[in-house]
Amino acid sequence: MYMIKNEDYEYIRNKYHDTSRPFDPFNRFIRRDDLFSSETGMDPDQILAHIPVQDAEHARESHPVRKAYALSFVLKNTRISCDPRDIFPAINMVDRPLREALIEKWKKEIFTNFIPEVAARRAQLENDGIVTMWLDYDHSVPVWDRIFEVGFEGLLRESEAARANRELSPEQNDFFEGIRITYEGVLTFLERLSVLASNTKGSEKMAAALKNIRHRPPSTFYEALLTVYLYFMISEHIDCLQVRSLSNFDRLFLPFYQSDLTNGVSEEEIRADLAYFLMQFTAIGNYWNQPIFLGGENADGSTVISELSYLFLDVYDKMKIYNPKVQIKVSDSTPKSFLLRALDMIRHGHNSIVFVCDNTMRKELMLAGASEDEARLCNVTGCYEYSLRGSYGTGMNYSNLLKPLEYTLHEGRDGVTGVMAGLPCPPASEYESFDEFYAEYKRQLKNLIDITTAVNNSYDEYLCEINPLSFLSATFPSCIERARDAIGGGAVMNNTTMAFGFIADLADSLTMLQKYVFERKELTLPAFVEMLDHNFEGNENFRAKLRADREKYGNNKERPDAFATDIVNFIIETIGDRPNSEKRGGKWGASFHVARMSYTQGKLTASSPNGRLYGEELSKNLSASMGQNREGATAAILSVTKIDATKIRCDAPLDLGLLPSAVKGEDGLEAMYGLLMTFCRRGGHAIHINVFDADTLRDAQAHPEKYQDLQIRVCGWNVLWNNINKEEQDGFIRQAEALI
Amino acid sequence: MTATIFEIKRFAVHDGDGIRTTVFFKGCPLRCVWCHNPEGLSAKYEVGFYEHKCIGCGECKKDNFEVSDCLGNARVEYGKEISVSEILPLLLEDKEFYDNSEGGVTLSGGECLIQADFCAELLKELKRLGIHTAVDTCGFVSRNALDKVIPYTDVFLYDVKAYDEDVHIRCTGVSNKQILENLKSLNMLDKKIEIRIPYVPDYNDGQIEKIACFLAPLKNITKIRVLPYHNYAGSKYEALNLPDALPNRLPTDEEIKIAAEKIKVITNFVVIS
Repeated sequence: MYMIKNEDYEYIRNKYHDTSRPFDPFNRFIRRDDLFSSETGMDPDQILAHIPVQDAEHARESHPVRKAYALSFVLKNTRISCDPRDIFPAINMVDRPLREALIEKWKKEIFTNFIPEVAARRAQLENDGIVTMWLDYDHSVPVWDRIFEVGFEGLLRESEAARANRELSPEQNDFFEGIRITYEGVLTFLERLSVLASNTKGSEKMAAALKNIRHRPPSTFYEALLTVYLYFMISEHIDCLQVRSLSNFDRLFLPFYQSDLTNGVSEEEIRADLAYFLMQFTAIGNYWNQPIFLGGENADGSTVISELSYLFLDVYDKMKIYNPKVQIKVSDSTPKSFLLRALDMIRHGHNSIVFVCDNTMRKELMLAGASEDEARLCNVTGCYEYSLRGSYGTGMNYSNLLKPLEYTLHEGRDGVTGVMAGLPCPPASEYESFDEFYAEYKRQLKNLIDITTAVNNSYDEYLCEINPLSFLSATFPSCIERARDAIGGGAVMNNTTMAFGFIADLADSLTMLQKYVFERKELTLPAFVEMLDHNFEGNENFRAKLRADREKYGNNKERPDAFATDIVNFIIETIGDRPNSEKRGGKWGASFHVARMSYTQGKLTASSPNGRLYGEELSKNLSASMGQNREGATAAILSVTKIDATKIRCDAPLDLGLLPSAVKGEDGLEAMYGLLMTFCRRGGHAIHINVFDADTLRDAQAHPEKYQDLQIRVCGWNVLWNNINKEEQDGFIRQAEALI
Repeated sequence: MTATIFEIKRFAVHDGDGIRTTVFFKGCPLRCVWCHNPEGLSAKYEVGFYEHKCIGCGECKKDNFEVSDCLGNARVEYGKEISVSEILPLLLEDKEFYDNSEGGVTLSGGECLIQADFCAELLKELKRLGIHTAVDTCGFVSRNALDKVIPYTDVFLYDVKAYDEDVHIRCTGVSNKQILENLKSLNMLDKKIEIRIPYVPDYNDGQIEKIACFLAPLKNITKIRVLPYHNYAGSKYEALNLPDALPNRLPTDEEIKIAAEKIKVITNFVVIS
């Protein structure tokens, strides 16, 4: 591995998982007890057994305080290890030890005692493939600037100072108490690591850095990496809160990089430190990939891109890894040469990179009330979502736009189960015009939005009771100022988003219905429904006709694109600025990524009027439906950018497939740049690219051994081709077959 | 005025600079043994049948069958009559992409200059709209045809397939005298010219040095592109019921590299392979 010695690579690769055991892409990490000495603390089983015992001692306290005690207990007692083969320490535990004993327990208590009907409703919505919802502790980003500015001890000191200066309600006092206990635990943890490292031969560099960051903010490039790593490990793997960005790397690390060089640290050493850092996340192997982002603009509008940005890409490219994944904020000031470097990586198969357009995000955030300076510095979180620094958005509400269509066609019933899941409505035979039919669809969609927002709002105010976020909140200045948890109204913005999936399948279905039923009158609506109910059996030719029809969304065709735009506008108007819970004080918004729902909800979705069969994969993000982008990359971009992304609160991503032959040579690279810049200048939000051809993918399916390194971009993250199932592989082959 | 075309290809990346839309015109005076666009040879309307795509829908057995009814897209029409006013909006769809990549529109074929009057009219409109234009030609056209498009063409993509006349005749069925003459004339007119040399083993691979020596003194050549022969077009011959006599041997990467290097040394031009 580039910059990493072989034996070090082997050690780190196996540090979080025993790679000799079967690979489970969704498992976070598997404990490796053999790396740890019993002298350093309790083993994971003892830790798990003790958490409820120590919690019982604080049973009268509030949840933030109890969780803080539990977290602190783990930090003080869990086994740790330093190894000369690595410059980052290891922690011995099961993943997320607080989950079962506290968070799941509190969740159950709250759902049982306060909102007894909600759990069943949520489960029903998910089982029917209508809306997949869960409590969103998956998208936090600390204010890294603050952590780098004052350090862990400084965060505690400032929290305590704010606490001392005012009259506090009991709830506010507990907020500060939660932070105090948490951070005292963190400092003890750093102390323990520091002592262990000083006693470990070969770990002197780590020892010195730990000693410093125990008391002070990081002062070197390596100390800053170590700070991010430790914050990440504590939050993600103990505190049960996903850290969905390892920072705007080039903006935040540049001062450390420059001062290190001035102080005589070699660039070689910096590259090595970065490689060891990145390798930790490769080894952890989060299925969704660990995000980190580059680029964008400083508050004064100057580009963030510096020699460190290029250095990062170079190290990342040479390591040939896809985890962490990288987002690049593209601004007017972003140098072309930097974008060409990234595009060149993508066309060579290193495509764990997504481009997000700064202008679009800035406009949306400013419309929502942010200052221009803050909007410039917004985070990219998760896959391509964005938010202001110090905000906490929730958004795990994946809804299926085809379900209201099933209801409209079936008198309000689900097209698969026949259950009355929508609003009662007339039978298909009674729609006299397409307009009447379309109005009913919108009524059903509005009902879906109403249900989703109501169900989500009913537990929204309990989010900070179920999982109080003291560790995160201390990094948010607004939380300290308001004395409120980040997920309880403390964050700068506290919005909730609803993700709408399969806009292409919907727009195509509406187009086909309007064209063949209401305009050409080739068949009646009841006959069409009959055909759908039989999954097109006996009507294969008509299905082929629907599939062959080129009037499909994603091809710059007027009608289907107009349906997509109209539905997006309807969604945005319907959601409006409706509030989430009183406690959080945020607003609802829409987003359009689908994560894995194209597969999971696809299985529960009836055959659709665009010729898609029951159970087949649904369209991804704002991209054309499967195999239907026939007019190529430029048309796909023209279609998606008809949708006003500045009205979309969270994300509006496009997946673009390109043939290797189209992007080869200097011409090919320039063409990729032209596509990207047109997408950004037309107001697009996020774009990611797969460069593949169907023959190669078919060969990879038949001969997996030849394609061990083949990566594929799924929906905001990458996986190895060999780690996805045949059905998903077939989906990519179909997509590649349609490329021109 | 109308022209007969067989394809409009968007996101054409290797037909001139930037992102382009390429219009393929029907009809070609050459019969290159390696031709990869056989659907462009005849000037007449044709229907190709790709048997492997046939899903047996039976639509083609019906009385009023039109090619667009073929549900598996197994039947493909080559040869659409189109006017300038009809084609312009299609070419303008991707204007923003041209603007962001210094691209534009390319006329190709077949041999587009067989329909030179139409090309001139179309190119004139494109220039009026501020779009970069390229004409991809085999050069086997009258000087008169060339003159019609010169004022509205920003760059010529000019094929040179052989230097020796007998080799050229063996490869393409025609003499290259007029082709080389036209190229020299274009060069005198200060028109930008990108040269394209297909490299076909056993046919024109012995011509590389001679072609390069011919090109070396031409001052308006912007670059030379060596195009390795490929045989992807086999299925098109079958679909069009044309005899498939495509050469068997494909060039190796090494051969292409050596050829490109030779041209570079002799001409001093930018050579892309």
